[in-house]
Amino acid sequence: MTVQYDSIGGSGLQFFGTVSASISHELKNVLAIINENAGLLEDLTFAARRGSPIDPDKLDRTVQNFSKQIHRADEILKNMNRFAHSVDQFESQIDLHDLVVLVANLAARKAAMGRISLATTAPAQPIHLTCNPFLLENLVWLCLELAIAATGAGRTLTLIPEKTASTILLHITGIDGLSETLPVPDETGFEAIRAALGATMTTDPAGHTLTLHLA
Amino acid sequence: MRILLVDDETEFVATLAERLSFRNMEVDYATKAAEAIELAARKTYDLAVLDMKMPGISGIELKAMLEKQCPGMKYIFLTGHGSEEDYRTGSSEASGYLVKPINIDILVARIKKALEAK
Repeated sequence: MTVQYDSIGGSGLQFFGTVSASISHELKNVLAIINENAGLLEDLTFAARRGSPIDPDKLDRTVQNFSKQIHRADEILKNMNRFAHSVDQFESQIDLHDLVVLVANLAARKAAMGRISLATTAPAQPIHLTCNPFLLENLVWLCLELAIAATGAGRTLTLIPEKTASTILLHITGIDGLSETLPVPDETGFEAIRAALGATMTTDPAGHTLTLHLA
Repeated sequence: MRILLVDDETEFVATLAERLSFRNMEVDYATKAAEAIELAARKTYDLAVLDMKMPGISGIELKAMLEKQCPGMKYIFLTGHGSEEDYRTGSSEASGYLVKPINIDILVARIKKALEAK
């Protein structure tokens, strides 16, 4: 199955690098907030030693900020760990909604930079498929990149897994400015990944929806 | 010293504003470019501290918008990672840049140095 990685060349590494860089940026922001709140406690302690009373509400807010950022960092690292381990498995049974939520979390910062929100809708019943999880994450990411590039600021893109009698689909809805044919840059490895997974992509400009046909 | 802080991370910018106010600076903060422009239209600031990457806008783009409203205002950029490009931009477009997490003593020193050169 490593032939699947060979077929996508450097684009898989590029995807891994892009996600890692985004995660490191998020963690830097968390550290910056923790650093400022630790500094604020130092400032308050310094002021208290010089006789200024400490405002308990201010202390409480600072503690809450620590707690919130620790929780945020934990979520970021859980996603990073799951993403990193997806490379270990060349083929496994995947819960499509779980994978979509992971990719949406990983792409949230990228979307936010374009002032776009991401949402996911859980299917009524779990949808499972067997494939290479890293390649599927890469394909969903690339579709999200296309959707983000096509849509305008202030919009919400919603990822909706669906299973019909004959196929498994992933819709990305809410895309403004969607055309019949989307410009897919060669260097992203989109075609190779799509072919390796046996997936196809269709667009419905009127319905503002891009659909991946997965099985 | 009147300082305008702009960063989309609310907990970061609010806490940094509070810490700078302990150091005898008059500080307002914004988490969106539009808020920063509104604040700058109502009040004169000596220096703006801008995050380099914010949703929908870069620090450079926001600086260009603020320059039209506030000629003579100085700028310091904040960045998550100190890349070569950040260094070039910080050197050419502003009175410098700092990498997060920042050291407040260094930020205060940079602010004072930038305003002395005014």
